[in-house]
Amino acid sequence: MSRIALQLLFRRTLLAIPILLCVSALVFGILRLLPADPIAMSLPPGATAADFEKLRQSFGLDRSIPEQYVIWLGRLVTGDLGTSIYFRRDVGDLIAKALPATLELVLLGLVLGVAIGIVGGLAMFSWRGRMGEQVLDLGTTGLMAIPEFLWAILLILAFGVALPILPFIGRLSPELVLPPPVTGFLLFDSLVTGHLRVLGSALWHMVLPAFALAIGVAPLVMRVLRSSLLDVIQEDYVTQARLRGIPEHTILVRHALKNAALPTISLIGVQGGFMFGGTVLVEMIFAYPGLGNLMVDAVRNHDLPVIQAVGLVYCVLVLGINAIVDVVYLAANPKLRVA
Amino acid sequence: MSPRARATLQRCLRDPRVIGGGLLALLVAGLALFAPWLAPHDPQEQDLLSTLLPPMWAAGGEAAYPLGTDTLGRCILSRLLHGARIALYVGVVAATGAMLLGTVLALVAGYFGGWIDWAIGRLVDVWMAFPPVILALILLVGMGAGVNKVILAIVLIDWTRFCRVIRSEVLVVRRRDYVAAARLAGFTHVQTIVKEVLPAVTPLVITLFSLEMGIAVIVEAIMSFVGLSVEPDVAAWGVMIADARTTMNQAPWGVIAPVLAIFATVLAFNLLGDGLRRALDARLVTSRGEA
Amino acid sequence: MPGSSGSPVLEARGLTVSLRGAQVLRDLSFAVKPGEVLGLVGESGAGKSMIGRVIGRTLPQGFAVTGGSLLFGGRDLVGLEAEPLRALLGDRIAFIPQEPLTALNPVLTIGQQFGEHLERLRVPRGLRRDRIVSALTDVRLRDPAALLELYPFQLSGGMCQRVMIAMAFASEPALIVADEPTTALDVSTQAHIVQIIRGMQRDHRTSLLFITHDLRLASRVCDDILVLYAGDIVEQGPAREVSERPRHPYTRALQASNPPLGGTRRRLATLPDQMPGIAGFASLPGCRFASRCPIRDGACASAVPPLMEVGPRHRVRCTQGCLSDDRGLVPGEPLVAVPLDGRDPVLRVEDVWKHYAGKRDWLGRRHPGVDAVKGATVSVAPGEFVGIVGESGSGKSTLARLVMGLEDATSGRIMVDGVDVTANAGEARRIRLGALQMVFQDPQSALNPRRPVERLVTQVMEAADGAGDAERLARAKALMRETGLPVDLLDRYPSQLSGGQKQRVNIARALCVTPRLLVADEIVSGLDVSVQAQILNLLLDLRQTRGIGLLFISHDLAVVRYLCSRVLVMRNGEVVEEGATEAVLGDPRHPYTRSLVAAVPPEDMDVPWPPLAAAESV
Repeated sequence: MSRIALQLLFRRTLLAIPILLCVSALVFGILRLLPADPIAMSLPPGATAADFEKLRQSFGLDRSIPEQYVIWLGRLVTGDLGTSIYFRRDVGDLIAKALPATLELVLLGLVLGVAIGIVGGLAMFSWRGRMGEQVLDLGTTGLMAIPEFLWAILLILAFGVALPILPFIGRLSPELVLPPPVTGFLLFDSLVTGHLRVLGSALWHMVLPAFALAIGVAPLVMRVLRSSLLDVIQEDYVTQARLRGIPEHTILVRHALKNAALPTISLIGVQGGFMFGGTVLVEMIFAYPGLGNLMVDAVRNHDLPVIQAVGLVYCVLVLGINAIVDVVYLAANPKLRVA
Repeated sequence: MSPRARATLQRCLRDPRVIGGGLLALLVAGLALFAPWLAPHDPQEQDLLSTLLPPMWAAGGEAAYPLGTDTLGRCILSRLLHGARIALYVGVVAATGAMLLGTVLALVAGYFGGWIDWAIGRLVDVWMAFPPVILALILLVGMGAGVNKVILAIVLIDWTRFCRVIRSEVLVVRRRDYVAAARLAGFTHVQTIVKEVLPAVTPLVITLFSLEMGIAVIVEAIMSFVGLSVEPDVAAWGVMIADARTTMNQAPWGVIAPVLAIFATVLAFNLLGDGLRRALDARLVTSRGEA
Repeated sequence: MPGSSGSPVLEARGLTVSLRGAQVLRDLSFAVKPGEVLGLVGESGAGKSMIGRVIGRTLPQGFAVTGGSLLFGGRDLVGLEAEPLRALLGDRIAFIPQEPLTALNPVLTIGQQFGEHLERLRVPRGLRRDRIVSALTDVRLRDPAALLELYPFQLSGGMCQRVMIAMAFASEPALIVADEPTTALDVSTQAHIVQIIRGMQRDHRTSLLFITHDLRLASRVCDDILVLYAGDIVEQGPAREVSERPRHPYTRALQASNPPLGGTRRRLATLPDQMPGIAGFASLPGCRFASRCPIRDGACASAVPPLMEVGPRHRVRCTQGCLSDDRGLVPGEPLVAVPLDGRDPVLRVEDVWKHYAGKRDWLGRRHPGVDAVKGATVSVAPGEFVGIVGESGSGKSTLARLVMGLEDATSGRIMVDGVDVTANAGEARRIRLGALQMVFQDPQSALNPRRPVERLVTQVMEAADGAGDAERLARAKALMRETGLPVDLLDRYPSQLSGGQKQRVNIARALCVTPRLLVADEIVSGLDVSVQAQILNLLLDLRQTRGIGLLFISHDLAVVRYLCSRVLVMRNGEVVEEGATEAVLGDPRHPYTRSLVAAVPPEDMDVPWPPLAAAESV
């Protein structure tokens, strides 16, 4: 990786700090608006007022809100994300278990979605002005009218219920046991420890959720790639290349795609960030044990420590994917590289 | 009307997307408006003797329940019609709010530039760090559940969609000499923004508004699906999907009907927005981002 | 004549191009002989670019060849299959583009793009690098080896154009099509580029089709010239003959409306209106120039006149024959210097600086800022016309914006009617509003497309309130008459106006508050010469009727000389020379001014141009 790319990553990290500070304050502030008392909800019916006070103190909820924020932030920096009110477990542990699952899912979904999008975009471009383009164009509009969580449900209906060929609950078949954790990433761990049946089952379980996420991005990638290709072939340098007798396929690959890739890369950055949002409901619907599922459980139980920690983790993920995409963009765009 | 405006309007009215999307949107709006008269049953009315009935055309269906019934024996068609009211209410109000907030901030940021632009830009940066669904969940935990809270959450989240896109268009318009000419003609800043800049970005605002209505309908469905929007017994499309999901094996139509309703509504707004984008040549819009 | 023998390289026989039934090129016949340069001259919309587009198959949507043939080496390019045509392009036929900066792909280096061209010419990989370096040396680019690693946006327009020229000549083509190859470049670069193209063409004995709007330039570059008007050839012949003894009234008007850089300043003779657009062609069955022609008769409008021989190889399309040398050619009366009364200046700019801070790039590195204007001092007396000359990036437009208060000066004073307008911002707007108005460069950008003409020209009254509709209409009508616009245009929108009309509306708007000084930034640079002359004369008339002053910013020395009694030459933000126009342009002291003057082809064809010195100092 070139020096300039490292510089960019460094600067991105530096810029992420104030953003994350604002994000954390925002999350903390919003959650303190909460009218209901999470402690009261989590107590058993026979609890006394003394129990209530004791519990409030143990979670630090008796202090003023800015105080609570500073304490929370201080612990956050040392890696202590607090304790879940509902699960009564360390929030850090909960996230450590859920995060790899979500990352694997998003990665698979993104790769799938971008691949479909690129193929579709090229197809639309090469069929420009013909019937095929119209059909695909209308198709993308239709696809985009269905959000990920409805795709999840429709896919379950189609491939889990009507044609029961694919699993749609959890991350593994129930008879399998998890391999010993190495990195926490199931696909990776099962591969390196040689548990190929686990690997197969995990991938099999990810097909539907990953596909639900992929259909969310694919039509957008298709459209942006197609329209940027259409823009690029109008450019003077494409006309000039034609006037030099450069063959059409060389023009497409060498001149058009290289330039059309730029807006597409930007789009993938934004959509990759949004895709983390998409996982929330998709994971919940597929009972997939990732961050999203954790988040929904926390929301339902007003489990504030979990909500604020998971919320923050999502923001870190979004900023991370943006930084990665920026580096890719930098590599693809000499105008930014050569300053 | 200027010939340009007339040509644009003609282009709009000739675009099959605008026509198709517009008609579909009108249909949904009509069904929602007249739901109390069109619905065969009260959406809350339970008929525990006839639960999970299939649609009338399927074996075992009854004409009294054209689209069948749910687990509590409530009429799916009636609930669907009443659900449209909630969906459109949220769609229109939330999109309007997000449009107003986002457009005003975009005009201010893009026109004045300098530190105001910087500040609004950083605010957008912070907002963009959240996946929208996450921010919505956090807001609704903080503010408590409810339809109006959902609307408020959408406004507070999606103003950035308007702000980002419109700001960059304002920057383009700002560089046009006619904006400078207006200042030289003695226009105040407010006069210049309202009379010269705003009309130039209006097509873009309309396009975004149409797309935002679709997004708002989806967000409302998501939130009522996880139980953060309407009361659990109120007929909203998300609630209907959540209810019917448990009995998806025996009664898939309970899920399919509201999914189709969401699809049709969002498709209408997307088609409309898409057609308007082409007809108005508002090139900067890249359709919906995921909500 | 080099190459007056041999069969033609390119020959058009009755070539006709149409758009929805309107003939955009009408029955065009010409031949380019080996090693010969043929100039196609015409204003925008004349159809001069169509021939290049027929060759390259890049006609815009809807345009099609509907008759005749275009033979290249005996083969008809019109009917040729796609693949054999592609084989010719870039190899036997090459193109030099109008906009060199956009003609190269921004994500590929110069070496990659040139290498691709050589790959297409089947040059073995190992030889390519040396070939590129020697080709770039031929177009006098310094350090060509280093250029290979650079991207187009790291090069200036002139350098990109040299790369394009080198690529065009790489295959030793039989024909090169150069469509306005210097128009997008700065004045001082134009001469070099012309020199290089002409020199390479001579060395390689390549035939060249040189397409331009500039008759004077064409007469210097070309062996033969073909003047096009609305899709018709109106005059064709040897370059010197056509430019020194033009016979068609249109060619004469082109000559007469182009202000010279030397000799007596005479009022420019102008044609009425402007060339009809394509939409109007269908209603012009006869001579398309007839409606503007000073010597037309009843027959002109009904039948297309044939091309008539008027001299050796010199032909003119005119029923009048244009046989007499003098018919329809009335020289304008000499312009007299307007005496200035000794009153205080309307505008006084004292040592004004403008610094722009560098922007941060996305790595957060701050780029160095620029001083766009460095200590400019200018004053304009009532009724005085002052010119500011400079190339792009000289700071001349920034100075105009500073004067108008559209930007704030970093330091220095700007006095309007003796009041310092840099000091008191609120008051300054009011003072400026009454005294100064600005006419913008590009009417496309300066006229809000959503306002009809009436609401454009009286926009000032809208801000002031109090003015009723009737009052506005009356003022609008008066302004229209004053700027030579028909009153029935009042309810039109800018998109319905021609380029010249738009610029008149632009001027009318500035006149609405009866300012004493107009600041005009490149207001004629986008216009065709015949329309440009009309606008220039309008400005002179306004000085007569209103005693108005003018700060005229332009890159065009000849236009500045025509209008202005005093001139300032700006370069990189600095005023490098100033003085009475005739003195500065007649005897330039600063080397930069000298290079600007040298870049303009002189009227006298016996004075060699481009000067060798200019071409050497690359």
